[in-house]
Amino acid sequence: MPKCTIDGKEVEFKPGENLITVAKRAGVEIPVFCYHPGLSVVAQCRMCYVEIEKMPKLQTACSTNAAEGMVVKTQSDPVVKGRAGTMEFLLLNHPLDCPICDKAGECDLQDNSFGHGSANMRHTEERRTYVDVDMGPVIEKNMNRCIHCTRCIRFGEEVAGIHEMVAIQRGNNIDITTIDGNPLQTEYAGNYADICPTGSLTLRDFRFRKRAWMLKKTSTICEGCSKGCNMEIQHEGNVIYRCVPRENLEINKYWMCDEGRMNYHYTQDEKRILNPRSGATFIGWEDAIQTLKDQINEKPLTVLVGSDLTQQELENILEYTKNYHKGSSVYHFGTEGVFTSAQDLPVDKILKMKSKTSNLNGAEKLGIKSVQEMKSASDVVLVFAGGRANVQSVTKKLEGKKLIGIGVYSLNEAESFSMVLPSLSFTEKDGTIFNHQGIEQKLKRAIQPKNTIKAISEILMLTANKKVKVGAN
Amino acid sequence: MRQNTLFEQHFWKDSNRSLDYYLQNMNGYQAAQKVLKEMNPDQVIEEVKKGNLRGRGGAGFPMGMKWGFIPKASEKPKYLVCNADESEPGTCKDRQIMRYTPHLLIEGLIIGSFAIGCKHSYIYIRGEYVNEAKLLNAAIEEAYEKGYLGKNILGSGFDLDITVHRGAGAYICGEETGLLNSLEGKRGEPRVKPPFPAVSGAFGCPTAVNNVESIANVPHLIRMGGDAFAQLGKIDKSGGTRLISLSGHVKKPGVYEIQAGSVTLRQIIEDIGGGIINDKKLKAVIPGGSSSPILTADEIDVVYDVEPLMKVGTMMGSAAIMVIHEDTDLVKLLLRITKFYAHESCGQCTPCREGCHWMESILHKILHGEAKPTDLDLLVDVAQNIGGKTLCALGDAAAGPVISFVKKFRPEFESYIKGQKRYA
Ligand SMILES: Cc1cc2nc3c(=O)[nH]c(=O)nc-3n(C[C@H](O)[C@H](O)[C@H](O)COP(=O)(O)O)c2cc1C
Ligand code: SF4
Ligand code: SF4
Ligand code: FES
Repeated sequence: MPKCTIDGKEVEFKPGENLITVAKRAGVEIPVFCYHPGLSVVAQCRMCYVEIEKMPKLQTACSTNAAEGMVVKTQSDPVVKGRAGTMEFLLLNHPLDCPICDKAGECDLQDNSFGHGSANMRHTEERRTYVDVDMGPVIEKNMNRCIHCTRCIRFGEEVAGIHEMVAIQRGNNIDITTIDGNPLQTEYAGNYADICPTGSLTLRDFRFRKRAWMLKKTSTICEGCSKGCNMEIQHEGNVIYRCVPRENLEINKYWMCDEGRMNYHYTQDEKRILNPRSGATFIGWEDAIQTLKDQINEKPLTVLVGSDLTQQELENILEYTKNYHKGSSVYHFGTEGVFTSAQDLPVDKILKMKSKTSNLNGAEKLGIKSVQEMKSASDVVLVFAGGRANVQSVTKKLEGKKLIGIGVYSLNEAESFSMVLPSLSFTEKDGTIFNHQGIEQKLKRAIQPKNTIKAISEILMLTANKKVKVGAN
Repeated sequence: MRQNTLFEQHFWKDSNRSLDYYLQNMNGYQAAQKVLKEMNPDQVIEEVKKGNLRGRGGAGFPMGMKWGFIPKASEKPKYLVCNADESEPGTCKDRQIMRYTPHLLIEGLIIGSFAIGCKHSYIYIRGEYVNEAKLLNAAIEEAYEKGYLGKNILGSGFDLDITVHRGAGAYICGEETGLLNSLEGKRGEPRVKPPFPAVSGAFGCPTAVNNVESIANVPHLIRMGGDAFAQLGKIDKSGGTRLISLSGHVKKPGVYEIQAGSVTLRQIIEDIGGGIINDKKLKAVIPGGSSSPILTADEIDVVYDVEPLMKVGTMMGSAAIMVIHEDTDLVKLLLRITKFYAHESCGQCTPCREGCHWMESILHKILHGEAKPTDLDLLVDVAQNIGGKTLCALGDAAAGPVISFVKKFRPEFESYIKGQKRYA
């Protein structure tokens, strides 16, 4: 492999890699604003200056590919002065409203200013201000905070496949806005907030809800569809405040869709059933398990499992039915019209898949048949679901049967159920799922579940026990 | 000194722009004939290299070398784009060529296109040149009619179309990659280089961008041969003649032609321009368009060409000379120049977007007696944070005048700051 030298350290590189990437490998962080590994390189912000031997001017590291024998300095006096100059320029018109800005704490402008700028302000002129456009339900615009890095424009054009963000006017009057001031249309708008290096584009859903530095972060997988985008649940005090994508170049790169990003809300919704219920009344777990036992006895059953459950949950259910309800049939369900992974096609050219559940592939791997193949059903039907599977699509096929739901249900979903035993959502459990490509990924528990709900494994174990005895959680 | 000019003798008469005149008095289309019938592309490029033809758009880059960068084996189409944006303040030489000798430009485009393998050439002309665009289109039509353009030109099997594309009035679209974006219908913003246009230019294809005057020189060069063309230049590495746009406080402003490197700046001002109006004293000269660093009256005994001017810390640029006499307020002038660059900044890169406007504000304060003593150094520091740090050369264009004006005429700025002089 060819080599270059960065701050005296020799580093290997692959041809075509830029100096930001190569420097990072050498443990050298070069500050950037406009550069983003998932977007084209425009070299507009002029933050990433480096000095390269034999070149008279400072060069921008983002637009310079490493070359054999290249000698790069990232800390020399001209570099330090160059960066300070850019920082000063960027802050001339910035409102410095960090105390009320949601980006504070995770803001590139703040961090780079702290690292490379000056605490003095030599500019005494009036600041430039803008009138903001309404960008629709996902994103809040605050143009005064914008540093014109054009990441948002490039994200729209290059990733979301829509030219909706634009630069209008020019020079000092340049404005970054939407075409004709229209609301954003992409279903991937949340990413605008992630990639904006300042608080110019923030997520409305997160607005004024939590300071970024207070959030705890749990790496997990989005359960919104079978793509399996890697994401982080950000939470504090057992409450989720937002979900953001995590880099995985094989699956979602740096992005996720809005549906997946906002999906977590149902797990904290007041309509979610969090106590065992019989009809419309809450019952204790002992009663619930006893009633369940009485109703299913040891008869062969029809068991429906959501393809939103983890591999471990599905295996538990299969094992339980095999051991205690010989002759039962188990079917998976999830998305109407998508019964097999062959039918699970991309919805667009970006990320979304047709299957609105995350583990269709895993259910198939365990040999579970699709609900489409269900010809008849037992009088009592057990329905297991993790929260995403489309419950209504199966309950309407089972009119007249006694339905018992085990899993994550809302009041609306449970209307046709005789009983519900609440279980863990994807945010509250560990487990394995297989995405549409067959890649195995792990869910991680971010939230401590309420003590009124139980894991499917525990519910099944209690049901299998001869004597019903439910201990305290 | 200026007899048998290649261009100037044909200027100022409307009838000279016709194809007939061109054929009868200017050996019209003979160079194209020679190239298409007797030469191969490599030979043409070799000849242009021999002629030491440097780009006339501002940077003075050797034209043969630029054409040589266009990859021979390319699946993609290749483009020769003529830069007729002529917007550097003080420059008006390309306009003369388009007005009076448009066929020279067309013939140059034929030869250049043949040399680099272009089948469709564009002339990107500044929006304000409404008339010139019309004249060019009329000349192009004439050329099509007579078989100098279109399919199978002069029976050679070579095809070429030319399209005139009008800009919308932005200086930045004279920068070659800004021009290409605008040509493609995008925002007129310069592109990051590399890739250079020779690799990925118009529509992502290999492209050479050349100034009007550069291209219009090619027929002359081919007709007289590279060596003879090179010898027209009286200095190393600069062949042919140069059109200069002489303006400001001279008695006879105008567009003149000189043999490259044959005269000093003083000779241009005194002999060609007839000296300073009202026989005032010379104060300063901006030698190569408003972006070139200013020279004092003592610095004008310099040969007027690319390298000598570089040696004295300025540049030849677009060869637009602005002569400034003793009564001129340089603070006002610098504010005017800075305002221009701030207004024309495309706004994509930070130092230029923010810095040019800031320099304008500081200069405004100085002029209006609102500045602090430290503001002058601040002004220079801001200029230094722009110069050499921007994505395209507009930043340098804006910083150069500020740095040089303050360095050479500091007391004028200080007298405003100290309140000794007031804005009138
Ligand atoms: C801000 C800026 C404005 C420019 N404007 C013009 C112009 O109006 N006309 C022109 O020919 N070149 C202009 N140039 C130079 C072009 O970028 C380019 O160098 C030139 O067209 C190349 O042609 P040449 O090699 O024949 O000189 C400009 C450059 C910059 C940086
Ligand atoms: S809104 Fe944000 S992402 Fe878009 S240009 Fe401004 S700072 Fe960059
Ligand atoms: S230097 Fe000015 S004109 Fe050139 S790219 Fe930057 S902002 Fe645009
Ligand atoms: S990160 Fe390199 S110029 Fe913006």
